[in-house]
Amino acid sequence: MPAVEEMRSRPIVTGTGNIISRVSARVFGGVMAASFAMLAAGQAQAESVLTMHIEEQTSWVQNFNPFDLGGRRQSTMDFVYEPLVIFNDYDSGKPVWRLATGYKFADDLKSITYTLRDGVKWSDGKPLTSADMKFTLELMLKNPAVDIVGVGESVASVEAVSPTEVKINLKGVDTHFPESLADFPVVPEHIWKDVADPLAFKNEKPVGSGPMTEIRRFTPQVYEQCRNPNYWDAATLKVDCLKLPQIAGNDQMLALLPEGGLDWFGSFLPQIDKTYVGLDPEHNAYWQPPAETVSFQMNLKSANAGNAEAFNDMTFRRAFSLAMDRVSMVDIAGFGYPVVNAHASGLPPRFDSWRNKAAEGAQDEWLAYDIDRANKLLDDAGYKKDGEGFRTTPSGKPITFPIIVPNGWTDWIDAVQIATEGLRKIGINASVATPEYEQWQKQILDGSFEAVMNSRADGPTPFRGYFQSLSTAFGGRITSAPSRYSNPELDKVFDAYRRATTDEDRKKLFDQVQLIVADNLPVVPVFNGPTWYQFSTKRFTGWVSKEEPAMNPEDHDNNRMRLMHLLRLKPAE
Amino acid sequence: MRLPRRRLAVYCVAFLFAIVMNFAVPRLMPGSPVDSMIAQLGPRATPAAIEAIKARFGAIEQPMWQQFVDYIVGLAHFDLGVSVKYYPQTVLEVLGRSAGWTAFLVVTAIVFSLSIGVSLGALAAWRRGGRFDSFVSPFSVVMIAVPPVIIALATLFIFGVTLRLLPVGYAYDPSLDPGFNFTYFGSVFLHAIMPVLTLSPYLIGEFQTTMRSSMISVLGEDYVTMGRAKGLSESAVMFGYAARNAMLPVLTNLALMLGAVFGGSIVTEIVFNYPGLGLTLYTASVARDYPVIQGQLLLMTMATLGANLLVDILYGVVDPRIREGRA
Repeated sequence: MPAVEEMRSRPIVTGTGNIISRVSARVFGGVMAASFAMLAAGQAQAESVLTMHIEEQTSWVQNFNPFDLGGRRQSTMDFVYEPLVIFNDYDSGKPVWRLATGYKFADDLKSITYTLRDGVKWSDGKPLTSADMKFTLELMLKNPAVDIVGVGESVASVEAVSPTEVKINLKGVDTHFPESLADFPVVPEHIWKDVADPLAFKNEKPVGSGPMTEIRRFTPQVYEQCRNPNYWDAATLKVDCLKLPQIAGNDQMLALLPEGGLDWFGSFLPQIDKTYVGLDPEHNAYWQPPAETVSFQMNLKSANAGNAEAFNDMTFRRAFSLAMDRVSMVDIAGFGYPVVNAHASGLPPRFDSWRNKAAEGAQDEWLAYDIDRANKLLDDAGYKKDGEGFRTTPSGKPITFPIIVPNGWTDWIDAVQIATEGLRKIGINASVATPEYEQWQKQILDGSFEAVMNSRADGPTPFRGYFQSLSTAFGGRITSAPSRYSNPELDKVFDAYRRATTDEDRKKLFDQVQLIVADNLPVVPVFNGPTWYQFSTKRFTGWVSKEEPAMNPEDHDNNRMRLMHLLRLKPAE
Repeated sequence: MRLPRRRLAVYCVAFLFAIVMNFAVPRLMPGSPVDSMIAQLGPRATPAAIEAIKARFGAIEQPMWQQFVDYIVGLAHFDLGVSVKYYPQTVLEVLGRSAGWTAFLVVTAIVFSLSIGVSLGALAAWRRGGRFDSFVSPFSVVMIAVPPVIIALATLFIFGVTLRLLPVGYAYDPSLDPGFNFTYFGSVFLHAIMPVLTLSPYLIGEFQTTMRSSMISVLGEDYVTMGRAKGLSESAVMFGYAARNAMLPVLTNLALMLGAVFGGSIVTEIVFNYPGLGLTLYTASVARDYPVIQGQLLLMTMATLGANLLVDILYGVVDPRIREGRA
């Protein structure tokens, strides 16, 4: 699930996916298929029902509490609770204004004022005002357990200046703040003020601001979420209901696909051209553009003296990188779905407009697959081989480490296997360890691991991914920052970026970030995982596709643009 | 009908043992529910949020003895706690929605297998060494040996995916609302076919083997010879005289096998996405949901003990020799 649900570049889970979300369909008994198909067809004329699969669960539990990240149905954000503003990472991070129509920093950058859209109503007809936003922010400040976006660290106080204006006083200067509110749900004060325990509240009949707030039907096997009668953007919304059948894993998904009941999903499907497109070539399609960068990250603060000495030596990291057979990782482990990332800066392809060519010169040489060169590099640096053929550090300490990867993430496990084979070819005693996801995460956070293959959670601009994974402040505090890298020069640039007020300045500063990262190779980038997106044009049109790459097309809970995607869809003629 | 005191004592000890094991076993697994809760927060969880979540589920980090006392007190009040995975649902709610489906599957599979296995066993013993026997009896051994997961995957692939004759998941068609009507029951029946067929081969094999050997020894009894001598028809002797008495060891075996059937139902339910206890136990184990695992194991232990008790009582009914005072 598991569970465990907002890993953006999650890997393929072929087994029993406890972690993630994917897939969907409705199942018919063979004998009854015909009669039900007829029934469904009759229904489609009356209203347009979009069948989606967002998350893997063994049973639906009616929980639409946006603050319960683990327990909430993953159709809660965006569809029940509309975001303030969405930054479209496929459009240079440009804002798409939703509940808010704008924001403005004060001249001293110590506060920011949001303007809310006039005339927005909650689904029960009551007006949505600045009081609701103030209430929600204060709820999070009072209860750290529901602070899902980390406002406790950045917000000092909140004022409702007028019914449509909210002034947020910040603890420090951070022009990056609006991005951190990307996953922020505004909840109605008139409902939530009476909730004694906002984390335990199941919010079974949500009152929301998004397009799909009415829970028409809810059983452990399927639920339907229908049109908000008071939706402010109702004119754009052409879908009447979302239907979400329960599907527990990829295996089930494959078994269900021939029924052809799914309209929009994001699953790992091996041999997708055969297993999905081939079933109905006229309607079934997919587009899986590259997402976050996956890298090998070494624990620079490892308690093992030999490993720590090696990991902190840039020559060792370069040799490590030269031993990575990235093409095999993509083709063999990833079924060809990811794309190789051979840039020392690790910049994901979708942020091409931010690319600094100066950071992709000689630095990228270390990202080729070259065992001989890696061996020579280590020989020259004094990494001698011991009796068993494994190298020791220049000071003579043994180097031996497992690379951890969560159990069940089969494609990632295979990729790590390929990495250790390469490392062993250059005399490094590396192995694969597959703890359960929870253990994997715990080892990253408590620093007891040696090396890990991991992705970082990118935001709408590339900044957040770099800032959170490589700044001293975040090192070891979140799973995206396992390596505990600390570089005062880089920290200074990050700091300047957070004070920057123009896009031009940001671009310049981010050029520096790329340069510093490429020069130092703190982590070893290997590939960019795919975005998971499959769709059928049988019942709906308007899909985002390779020909029209307007936005991140995924329907998972980590992609706020899925709201705009829903608003593009129209029932097929 | 009274049971010997010694047997009752055995049940009490087994029950106490189960309660203690039930507490200990989930805690011997690596990982903790708090880790799993934090894992669900994803990569952006801030330390403040993590601390708050830890505080909320603080009970789990209390000393062992305190946890044990809370556990016993809870049990006494039929309070099994709150699920971590399905928070804030209680364990009783979680188990309640799945127990019925597993009971339905297991009972159906047992009744189905019992009728087939016992008939096959009786027939095989009746014509011992004949063509029927020399085919059916070795085949039973094969059926016992094949793990349920293989049968489940094979049936799923053949009947569900390739031929598309039977539904590949769910307990009933998701578009139906449960109700007292033919469509709903028909759907439940259709969705149960593959899971039941998956659970059955092992049971049929066991019942057949037990029935056959028990029948063979019964066939040597004087009353069977007498039945024949009286000129009764073959079937009257076979079923009325021999099979009835040969059933006793099958009953004992049934009670012993209940645990194995539950075990098999875990695999079956996972493969067929069937919303029963097995699937719940699996999900709970992965999420380190101690309260649900405990409640589940307790329920299964009680079911197994209860079934044994029932068989003990039935034994008395079926076989007068067992009754107290005459034993």
